[in-house]
Amino acid sequence: MKLQLHVWGPAFSLPSIEAQCLAAISYCSLALPKDSWELVASSDPSVSPTGELPALQNGSIWVSRFRNIVDYIRKYSNGEWDLDRDLDESDRADNTAFSSFVESRGQALIDLSLYVTSQNYYGNTSPAYGSLLQWPNQWILPPKLHSAAKTRTEHLGLSSLDLQAMEDQRQREHSAAVAAGHIPRNFIQQPRETVSGLLGRTSQQNHFRIDALTGEFFEPLEAMLGQKSSLLAASTPSSLDCVALGYLSLALIPDLTQPWLRDAMRAKAPRLSAYTERMRTSCFGETRIEAVHAFSPESAPPSSLPWRAPGRISVTAVGTTLLSTLADSTPFLSEIRRNNRLKQEVESVDSGLSPRERAAVSMYADASKKDMYVSVAAVVGGVAALVGYMFHAGLIAISSGEDEPEEEEEEFSDYLDSGEQPKVADFLSGL
Amino acid sequence: MASGPNEGAQASNNLRSFFTVPLPIKRLFDKFPLTTYPANDLPQRSPSRRHDNQLFVFSDPTNARRGRPSYNPQCLKWQAYLKFVGIDFEITPSNNHASPTGALPFLLPAVPAAGASNAIPSHKLQKWAIEQVHCEEEQQLHLRFEVYAALIDSRIRNAWLYMLYLDSENFDAVARRLYVTPSTTNSLVRAALALELQQAARDELLKTSQYIDVADLEANAGDAFAALSALLGEDDHFFGRSDPGLFDASVFAYTHLILEEGMGWKQNRLAQLLREHTNLVQHRERLLRFF
Repeated sequence: MKLQLHVWGPAFSLPSIEAQCLAAISYCSLALPKDSWELVASSDPSVSPTGELPALQNGSIWVSRFRNIVDYIRKYSNGEWDLDRDLDESDRADNTAFSSFVESRGQALIDLSLYVTSQNYYGNTSPAYGSLLQWPNQWILPPKLHSAAKTRTEHLGLSSLDLQAMEDQRQREHSAAVAAGHIPRNFIQQPRETVSGLLGRTSQQNHFRIDALTGEFFEPLEAMLGQKSSLLAASTPSSLDCVALGYLSLALIPDLTQPWLRDAMRAKAPRLSAYTERMRTSCFGETRIEAVHAFSPESAPPSSLPWRAPGRISVTAVGTTLLSTLADSTPFLSEIRRNNRLKQEVESVDSGLSPRERAAVSMYADASKKDMYVSVAAVVGGVAALVGYMFHAGLIAISSGEDEPEEEEEEFSDYLDSGEQPKVADFLSGL
Repeated sequence: MASGPNEGAQASNNLRSFFTVPLPIKRLFDKFPLTTYPANDLPQRSPSRRHDNQLFVFSDPTNARRGRPSYNPQCLKWQAYLKFVGIDFEITPSNNHASPTGALPFLLPAVPAAGASNAIPSHKLQKWAIEQVHCEEEQQLHLRFEVYAALIDSRIRNAWLYMLYLDSENFDAVARRLYVTPSTTNSLVRAALALELQQAARDELLKTSQYIDVADLEANAGDAFAALSALLGEDDHFFGRSDPGLFDASVFAYTHLILEEGMGWKQNRLAQLLREHTNLVQHRERLLRFF
C-alpha cells in the first residue's frame, strides 16, 4: 500500500497552488523513497475527513497539516524517513521558531500577493483555480478562499490593495452623490486605480508598509541562510527547508500581473532567491509542471513527481458539496455544523486526546450549541415582541370581515372632523 | 354613500397607516437632529495626579495601586518592559473603551509631547521608551528576535486564547471574573459580552485552520516552549543580556500568567507543558522580583 498525499492541484508551474501543500510535497519527495508514495491533486478538502489539505492517506488513516504529516511519516517508518533526525537541540529550537515564523509571516504576504491584490486575483489566481477544480467546486471554493485570505490580512491595514472592493465603494459613493444631486453626472470622472499607481503615487503609506512587511520577512531568512546550502547548520535539508520552499516558491515563481512580492524578494534577498530556485529543482524536478500532468500522469515526463490521477468526482459527491455549501451559507445551520465538526473530530477515538480532554471539548461543543439555541430563542422572542407591539399599536388588526376596519375608521375620522371628542362618561353610561 | 375617489383615498389611507411610524417613535425622531457630542475625554480620574506617567492596563484597583502585574498578556508585556528599562509610571485600571485606539495598554506621559494626541498606544511605546531612557532597540541587535517573537505571537497566543476563552471551565472561573463581571452589573449585558468574547476568540483561531484542534494547539505551544527554553539556555535573560528587555517581557507576559496561582485556572495544560522547562520557570521567578 502506497502512501497517498492529497493536495491542491498545480498552478503557476508549481505542483500546488497552496504553500502548506508545497511544503508537504517537498518533504515527501526528499524524505520518502520514490516508489513508496503517490501524489493526488484532488483539490477538494472534502476528500479528507479532516476537511483540510494537504492530507496524507494510508488506507483508512488520514493525517492532515504539515507538522502532523511529518510526525506520522516518522512513526510510520520507525524513524527512518525523518529529515530532522540529525538536528541538535538548538537546531531543533530554530527549526520550530523559523517554521512558525515562515508560516505566519509568509502566509500573510502570499495572501496579500495572490488574493488581496485584486489584479493578481482576477488575472492569475482565479483562472488558475478554474483550470484545476471540477464543477461545481470551481464556483464555490475560490470565493471562499478569497474572503478567508482577506480576513487573515485585515489587521495589516492593506485592504486598499483590493482595488475591486475600492472600486465598488467608490461607485456607491458616486451614485449616492448623484442621487443627492450634489454633483452633475458628467462632472464625475472615474480614474482607474492600479497597484503601481497606488504604490507610487496615491498612497505612499502602502509602499512603506509593504516594504516593512517584506523586509521583516526576508531579512532574517537571508541572514540565516548566509553562505550555507540550507537554512539550518546541517548540510542536508531539514523540514524547515521544506516549509520555507513552500512559501518562498509561491512568492518567487508565479508570473503575476503585479509582481511586487517577487521584486521585493529578488531585491532584498538575492541569495534566498537562488536557494529557492535550487531547492525547487531538487524537490519538484527540472521540468515545468502543468495542470495536465496531475490529471493524466501518462503525459508527464518520467522524472517528475509520482502523480496519480484523482478519481472523477461522483454525482453523490457533487450533491454533498452543493448541499453542504447551501447549509454553510444558511445562518444557524452553519453554526450547528461548525460545532458538530469540532465534536466529531474529538469523539473519534484516534484523535489522540485523553478521555478528560475529550469530555471537556465535547462539553464546549454542547455549550456553544446551547448558545446558539439561546440566540434562536432571542430572535424568536424579538419578533414576537415586535408583532405584539404592532397589534397593540393597532398597526395590524385581525379582521373578521373585509369592511369592518374601514367603517370604524370612518366613524373615528368623523369624530375628528366634527371636532367632537368622544367622552369617557358616554361610553361608561352605555355599558 | 361612498363614491369612487373617496374609496381610493380610503384604501391609500389604510395602506399609509400600515407604513406610518408609530407615534412614540415618531415623537422621538421629531427631535432630530439630536445633539452631536464631542469626542470622549480621557477618564476623569486620570489627570488628578499628573506628575507621573500613567499606564492604562486591565487590572483591578487594589493590584494597580501596588503595581502588581496586569492579568492581560498584552498589557503585562508593556508594563514589564517599562519596568525593566527603568521608567517610572503608575498603573491605572481601565478597559478598551477608554483607549483612543480601542485597545489597551496606552500611556499618558507626564511631560506631554507637542502633538494633537498625548496618549501613546502600545505599538509606539517602545519608540517612546527609547527616546526617554536611550535603551537599545533589541530587534536590530538580534537576528532571532523577530523569529522567536513570531513563536510567541502565533503558537503560544493561540493556545492561550483557547485556554482562556474556549475552555468552558476556565472561561467561567477566569475570563468571566476578570473581564466580564467588572465591566457591568447588568446580567444581560454580561451574557452578551461573554458570548462576544468567546466568539472573537473562536474567529481568531478559525482564521488559520478549518477547525479548532485542541491537541494540535497544545502540541504547538509545547514545541514553542521547548524552543524558547533552548534559546534561553543557561543565561539569566534572553540573548545573553545582562538586563531583561522587550523579549523577556513578551515571554514573561505569558509564562507568568500561566504559572500564577492567583489566576484560578481550572484546566491548565499549558502550565504542565511549561513546567517541563525549568529554566523558563526560573526566568519567570527572576523577573517577578521586579514587581
